[in-house]
Amino acid sequence: MNIKSYRDWFIVGTLALMLLAASPTLATFVHLPSDSAKFSELWLLGPGHKAEDYPFNVRMNVTYSVYVGVGNHLGYSAYYKIDVKFRNQTQSLLDTSNSSPSKLNSTYEFRFFLADGKIWETPLNFSFQGKPSSVRHISVNGIAFPVNLSSQWNQTLSGFYYQLFFELWLFNMTAQRFQYHNRSVGIWLNMTNGA
Amino acid sequence: MSVLRFSLVLTILLVFASQTFVSLTFAQTSEYEATSALADAEGVVVSAYQAALKAEEAGANASGLWTQLNKAGEYLARAHTEFRLGDFERAADFANLGKSIGEEVKNTALALKDSALSESLQRMVPFMIASVVSVALITLGSLWVWHLLKKITATANFRNRIRVVILNEYQILS
Repeated sequence: MNIKSYRDWFIVGTLALMLLAASPTLATFVHLPSDSAKFSELWLLGPGHKAEDYPFNVRMNVTYSVYVGVGNHLGYSAYYKIDVKFRNQTQSLLDTSNSSPSKLNSTYEFRFFLADGKIWETPLNFSFQGKPSSVRHISVNGIAFPVNLSSQWNQTLSGFYYQLFFELWLFNMTAQRFQYHNRSVGIWLNMTNGA
Repeated sequence: MSVLRFSLVLTILLVFASQTFVSLTFAQTSEYEATSALADAEGVVVSAYQAALKAEEAGANASGLWTQLNKAGEYLARAHTEFRLGDFERAADFANLGKSIGEEVKNTALALKDSALSESLQRMVPFMIASVVSVALITLGSLWVWHLLKKITATANFRNRIRVVILNEYQILS
């Protein structure tokens, strides 16, 4: 029997044992990259906290509510901003083809920090002042903002249509500023005069 | 008499004009102050966020920091809202509130990071010692086993050789 022919196997076995013994210490220094997807969720729920009964036929001076929420699955605690924007049918919406946000100014905003794996949700109460064809103010969570926005009568859908939408922005550490995170949700609103 | 009346009218006009100019100047100063307060607050909140991230990476429980930072974020958002509405005084007030929370969070995060690092070092030392000792023991043990195996096989080979020689001699004699 020649023991030298088993030398390589013996060295490999010894090294494996050494690696096993050093693994608790190595684990604190070596972090293997996770292959799970990194993303953020943005959602909008109706007043009953469900994906139903969203406000649609809205009247002037009546308060409606929705819930807006965000889920963080980025693998780190993130700093988010939600821009609340209001537009009529002809104004520009975000361009999903090149991941850019709407050029409209935000009416209201939320800023919050969210740990990885956590969710954030808040109610948003809104009402409108003016006429269905011309909205003078939008009140969001009790604060009135002048908008002076008019809409043309939509012949096909029979109504004055406006959209309330939400854009998700994420703070980029490298750029040291908020960047549009390519997530948006919104609801169409048919302004009516009805009592 | 007419000169006196003229001076009186001029004085009244100047008083009214000065009030307009003074209020305009104050409004501009206020907008400038609000802009600078907002920029300051944003800078402080971002540095607090970075400090909280580092504390979290060091292993500290940062949940309290996020709760506090969310309050700062709410104030900042409100400051931006008031700024857009043209209420610069309130914008500056909310920005300052956000800034003071940001400063608090930053200090807490730095302290948490330091304590988390020292705790993790304390936790790591026994592991490191155990690993080093285990690796050393495995190395020495393997060398000893290798030499032992070499010795056993050498003895076995020597015995085999003697057996072969004896067998050969027996065959020659017979």
